[in-house]
Amino acid sequence: MIPIPQDDATQQKMLSEIEASVADFHGVAGFSVLRTETPGSAIGAHAGIQHDIQLDRVLTRMRMQPTGAFGGKLIIVCTKLEQEWRIARLSGIRGIPPKFVDDRVFTDEQSAQTEIFAMRLEQYPAEDGMPEHCIPAWKARGENWGA
Amino acid sequence: MTEIDSYPELLRLTGYGSKWSVEQGDSVDFFVNCDGPDSYRAELVKLIHGDTHPGGPGVKEEVIDSPVNATYPGRPQTIHAGSYGMVLDRRPMRVDSFTMQCWIWPTMPTKVGGYWSPGEQMIMGKWADDRGYGLFLDLDGRVCLRVNGETVTAAEPVRDRAWHFIAATFDAETGCAVLYHEPQIRYALDPKPEPVESVFTERAAHTAVPFTFAAHPGHTEPDSTSQQPHGWVMTDHYNGKIDAARLCSRVLTRLEIETMKLGAAAGMDERRGVGPSAELGSVMVAAWDFSLEIPSRSIVDCGPYRLDGELVGLPARGMTGHNWSGTQLSWSADHRDYGAIHFHDDDVDDARWTVDFTVTVPADLPSAVYAVKLTTDEGDEDYVPFMVRTPLGEPQAKIAVIMSTTDYMAYANEHQASNFGSLEALVYRTPIMAPQNIFLSVHREYGYSLYDTHSDGSGVHMSSRLRPVLNFRPKCDSVITQAPWQFNADLHLIDWLIQLGYDFDVITDEDISYDGLERIEDYNVLLTGSHPEHKDGRYLDAIHAYKDRGGRFMYMGGDGFYWRHTFHPGYGRGEITEMRRCESGIRPWQAQPGEYYHQSDGKLGGMWRFLGRDMAAVSGTSMVAQGFDVSTYFMRTPESDDPRVAWAFDGIEYGERLGDFGLVGGGAAGAELDNVDTTLGSPPHTLLVATSAGLHTDAYLTVTELILTNAPGHTGTQHPRIRADMAFHETPNGGGVWSFSSISYCGSLSHNNYDNNISKLTANVLERFAQDGPLPAPDASEIRARGRFESTPALNYHLPEQIGI
Repeated sequence: MIPIPQDDATQQKMLSEIEASVADFHGVAGFSVLRTETPGSAIGAHAGIQHDIQLDRVLTRMRMQPTGAFGGKLIIVCTKLEQEWRIARLSGIRGIPPKFVDDRVFTDEQSAQTEIFAMRLEQYPAEDGMPEHCIPAWKARGENWGA
Repeated sequence: MTEIDSYPELLRLTGYGSKWSVEQGDSVDFFVNCDGPDSYRAELVKLIHGDTHPGGPGVKEEVIDSPVNATYPGRPQTIHAGSYGMVLDRRPMRVDSFTMQCWIWPTMPTKVGGYWSPGEQMIMGKWADDRGYGLFLDLDGRVCLRVNGETVTAAEPVRDRAWHFIAATFDAETGCAVLYHEPQIRYALDPKPEPVESVFTERAAHTAVPFTFAAHPGHTEPDSTSQQPHGWVMTDHYNGKIDAARLCSRVLTRLEIETMKLGAAAGMDERRGVGPSAELGSVMVAAWDFSLEIPSRSIVDCGPYRLDGELVGLPARGMTGHNWSGTQLSWSADHRDYGAIHFHDDDVDDARWTVDFTVTVPADLPSAVYAVKLTTDEGDEDYVPFMVRTPLGEPQAKIAVIMSTTDYMAYANEHQASNFGSLEALVYRTPIMAPQNIFLSVHREYGYSLYDTHSDGSGVHMSSRLRPVLNFRPKCDSVITQAPWQFNADLHLIDWLIQLGYDFDVITDEDISYDGLERIEDYNVLLTGSHPEHKDGRYLDAIHAYKDRGGRFMYMGGDGFYWRHTFHPGYGRGEITEMRRCESGIRPWQAQPGEYYHQSDGKLGGMWRFLGRDMAAVSGTSMVAQGFDVSTYFMRTPESDDPRVAWAFDGIEYGERLGDFGLVGGGAAGAELDNVDTTLGSPPHTLLVATSAGLHTDAYLTVTELILTNAPGHTGTQHPRIRADMAFHETPNGGGVWSFSSISYCGSLSHNNYDNNISKLTANVLERFAQDGPLPAPDASEIRARGRFESTPALNYHLPEQIGI
């Protein structure tokens, strides 16, 4: 699989791109890592995943991680309807709810997307899925949606 | 980084109603769980708009004066999830010495720490509270026999998803207990299965508890206050299949046990029967055959005592047994290979709560979408929606909206965000979970949607509406779109109709399925919801007849009429729906080999396309792609100028971007998209009047049924057919069909205070379709033979000289 970039310059470039997407999607009922023709609109997709193939692939590699892998997948929880959002971590166990990872409260629906990417740069190893990473769990496929 | 353990209290107030569609003059019961506050208030409200997004018109509801509007005492009510079989106590099952035997295919022999339903798993027996006898899986996944409190345990654990024959004998005189545990497949390095023996000190104590499969009562006496069947509240649910269960009243030899696998053959004589000999038959207590009466809630005993039982919780039937040969794929072709029932600890057929209050719908209450709104002084809130319909054959408007109740059941309490980590790849962003999703991640007893898997990984193929369905609610966004989905998205349409002043009736899928054509034939026009994907055959029959008789049909969404459903005949009108996901279609799970046929009716499940009934023949367009990050807009095509359809675009310029705004993904063309496809059943005279433009991102992928060979090129930026086609065609006798072909379409109706080109276009179509009498006939020159030739892909080529290369 494609490595997750470890150098500051690439990481910062990716984070900036997501941050700009968050700004463009402010007020839109939906989100993608890309720029639009005008802030507050979803129309006119360009830049972001449309142009930066490495960013698109790194995002997808992170998104395909199983629920419980590497400590649990980060997710956003809406704690106050249309007003507040927080970051939580999925347990991967049926019956244990996602747990908040910190006490930050976001007041924009999209903002946590950038924060989660930043946290995942630390959470997930640069390399994964290579022969040296083989463990017995590779022998059984997990839940659906692929990974 | 510090994990924060504290979690806010979420959803202390939940409820459900006995019906989702209520006829004027009829009544509906409500069941409420109020876990904390002393009391709650109930109010009847008319629901108009439920999308809370600040860019839209906001929540709209109207309080309806009703005697039910009052304060009620609060009390917690819980759901006892988990399916089981139960044979009420009868003398023959109060055995002293015995042999019990069956085949098992366990699916969760052990459970991870923190699992919501921990504990041992009862396979079969008559046991509770350390009294009686039973076969169990212990916490280490080993089979064990228990008599009262004494246990003998197999040496090795079972393997998940593998058949094992298990048998246990107990000699009441000597106390000798023997347990056999014999995997059907023994791999090269597996240990040799040996029986284990022990000597117990006591005889089995007999109580009033039933003989049970896949769970046992928590106590030896029924709870007279419980709503559970016969007052027995079960525990220690088993996950997996059970097949060919037998009970005999003495210790059998291993050879006799082998013979007893054949089961009962009552009345054997010289010409019939292959069952046990008279000597062995004389000790038979019961020989259950789960392959009989599969569409029912009964289990049948073929032994001499008729120890038939009942199933609770809706376990999976029509399941392949230990003897499935693979030569028959349907239980209705040969039931003998289908003797297994698959039980789950998270099956739910009915929450079985106590009624809190009943709403009698006044005969003059207009047909509309309503809810009982529940609130407490401490800020708790829930809504329990229902639709009010007119009496059969007595429509009160020319327009009817079909609320997609089968779809609401299909998506009921979906757990995709918490169960399926890679949902994130599908939606192409990190999903946002609502408090309902968090609640459901803990309260697994609220049951699953048809998009989920059970805890053991098997697909959920049945859904009940007799439980709180937390996404059948206003003020509810889906993790899929970060916007309303299904019920709450359909309120976008309800709101628009009300806002623009149209009189309309509300009906539901269930009403069309059960009442047939009479439910719809007197309406001039029918409008679907945003995503009418899940339908039964009766519904499609009625819609087909309606269109053929001059009815007008507005398909307001995307990905419609896709999966085949049946309603379970063992339950009431529309209460339980079944759907199996087979070898194609967009499937979060796939049915096991040999298990594609519905237990409700014995017929093949899966996509309507592969049953010869593609949605293109229903709506004129067919599902082509999905993606859930962002939406785009439509542009008109030259065919929109055709006189047959130009009326729809009155007041709309040719070059306008149609719906470059909206509350679902920010555009009218998005989420799930359909194409005109005459090869699948779009009529040859279909006009393709507008198609999505701008850009669909690579989050959009061609549906799996269109990917025959998995080559690259199936994403939104690369595949020419990933687009939404808006289409029109006439039907016989002055009827017509208009397809908007996009799930996000209705989310654009309210933009700019309802003054926008999507609103305009929709109104033009609706007003044309709502007129009395047949639609104006097209010009006589339009009556001509049309093959599919004019639109075949073979014409999508150009000679080099045509393009100048």
